[in-house]
Amino acid sequence: MQCKELEFVLETQGLEQLSKDARLHLATCGDCQGLLADLNSIVSAAKSLPAEVAPPDRIWISLRAQLEAEGLIKEPVEVSEHSSWWESFSAWLRPRTFAIVTAAALVLAAAVYLTRTPRTPHPGVANDQPVAESSRPVQPSTTASDSPSSTFPVTTPSKGPALSRPKELAPSPSESASFTLNQAELDVPNMQLAGNSQVDAALRQNLRTLNAFIAECEQHLKENPQDELAREYLYTAYQQKADLLAAMMESGRGDN
Amino acid sequence: MCASSVIQGTTLGATRRIRTHSGAATGQLARQRPAQPVAWTEAEAIRLAQAGNAAAFEFLYQLHGRRVYALCLRMVGNPADAEDLMQEAFLQLFRKIGTFRGESAFSTWLHRMTVNVVLMRLRKKSLPTDSLEETLEPDAESSGPKRDVGAPDLRLSGAVDRVNLERCIEKLPPGYRTVFVLHDVQGYEHNEIAGIMGCSVGNSKSQLHKARTRLRELLQEEIRQQAREERKAAKTPSGSLE
Repeated sequence: MQCKELEFVLETQGLEQLSKDARLHLATCGDCQGLLADLNSIVSAAKSLPAEVAPPDRIWISLRAQLEAEGLIKEPVEVSEHSSWWESFSAWLRPRTFAIVTAAALVLAAAVYLTRTPRTPHPGVANDQPVAESSRPVQPSTTASDSPSSTFPVTTPSKGPALSRPKELAPSPSESASFTLNQAELDVPNMQLAGNSQVDAALRQNLRTLNAFIAECEQHLKENPQDELAREYLYTAYQQKADLLAAMMESGRGDN
Repeated sequence: MCASSVIQGTTLGATRRIRTHSGAATGQLARQRPAQPVAWTEAEAIRLAQAGNAAAFEFLYQLHGRRVYALCLRMVGNPADAEDLMQEAFLQLFRKIGTFRGESAFSTWLHRMTVNVVLMRLRKKSLPTDSLEETLEPDAESSGPKRDVGAPDLRLSGAVDRVNLERCIEKLPPGYRTVFVLHDVQGYEHNEIAGIMGCSVGNSKSQLHKARTRLRELLQEEIRQQAREERKAAKTPSGSLE
């Protein structure tokens, strides 16, 4: 047997259970011995690598939202026999629910607008950039190397007076969204949601999961304000929380 | 991308380093792990998911997500891309789950979609510099096992650690990388890989052997590089740093 033939054997039959001919060749060929030993080392090291890795929870949250948006998830919807379309519509217009959903939507819209729109420099402060440059539309981007002026700052480090936002003047949109949603959430603990303990528990569990995820995003953004991916996740989570709270209040029998 | 980040850390900094099993079992752990209190078989969950049941979708996701995520991580080398790809793969799966008739194993079907999604992404990324033939189906002459005549015969035994290996896996062409990860890391058999990749068993064996020999070359190069750096450091006088 020649070296080429041994290599063909290794390819077709694997590294174990070698034929007698192959073993005879190996006994006399140092190069092939080295090749086999090295391949065995590689296979052994590969087996020590984890075959499973836990994905972050946010993937399922995002995936589920997408499945719902596409109508792939078809939850059974229980409709009261006595409720007319007008009752359903008027219930949706109940002041608190309507106000919360509207406020959350407005805040999120503002957040998205500020994220996607380049900020106009403060007129009273010198700006080295030419006008054409500063007024050019900024492409939505998820890279961390974008100009700070094109991104929405949560705790963006100040790079100059023209770009800094005095925190005491107004809360950032994400802070507003967080505050609004937290206010809405205050009513939830005492509310009997759907008259069904299992559904109640599932809704509350979803809310806890979302809150944990939002806290994780906010903490990460405090440490890495330029992480656009984290910001996207945070806004998606706010939107999901607003939807969830609205759904909870819809199904609730509280005094709203 | 640092090789160690392939298996630890996420975009949001929630560090997870989870090692599950190191053997070559084919997904048994994933199949046995209860995702939630619901005691469904995979077939029941598939049937319910086909009807749009949210819990069934989640059950299937929990059942297979860890292996799919690990595969995506090894294929693309960074967590952010791996998350995107995993979501895309599951989204495609759930969109088409109504057409699943059980002719092949569900996990094979899922992994085939995942591999397709990953290779499509890698193909898009590599288009400006590499041809498809070169990256996906390297021919035997250009990328097959090479024996360097006259080159020092380095032995790898004892020198292959996980970090080195992961770094070298990232350098493999996508086709080799896929087969190597599926067989030697995830423990799939050649007939399963043939189903996932849509190729013959012989082709799978050939690709695996070429992947291993290419890895050997890459690892030997790593060892030489380390030796060069060590020699360079040894030559540098200690006082020259001041």
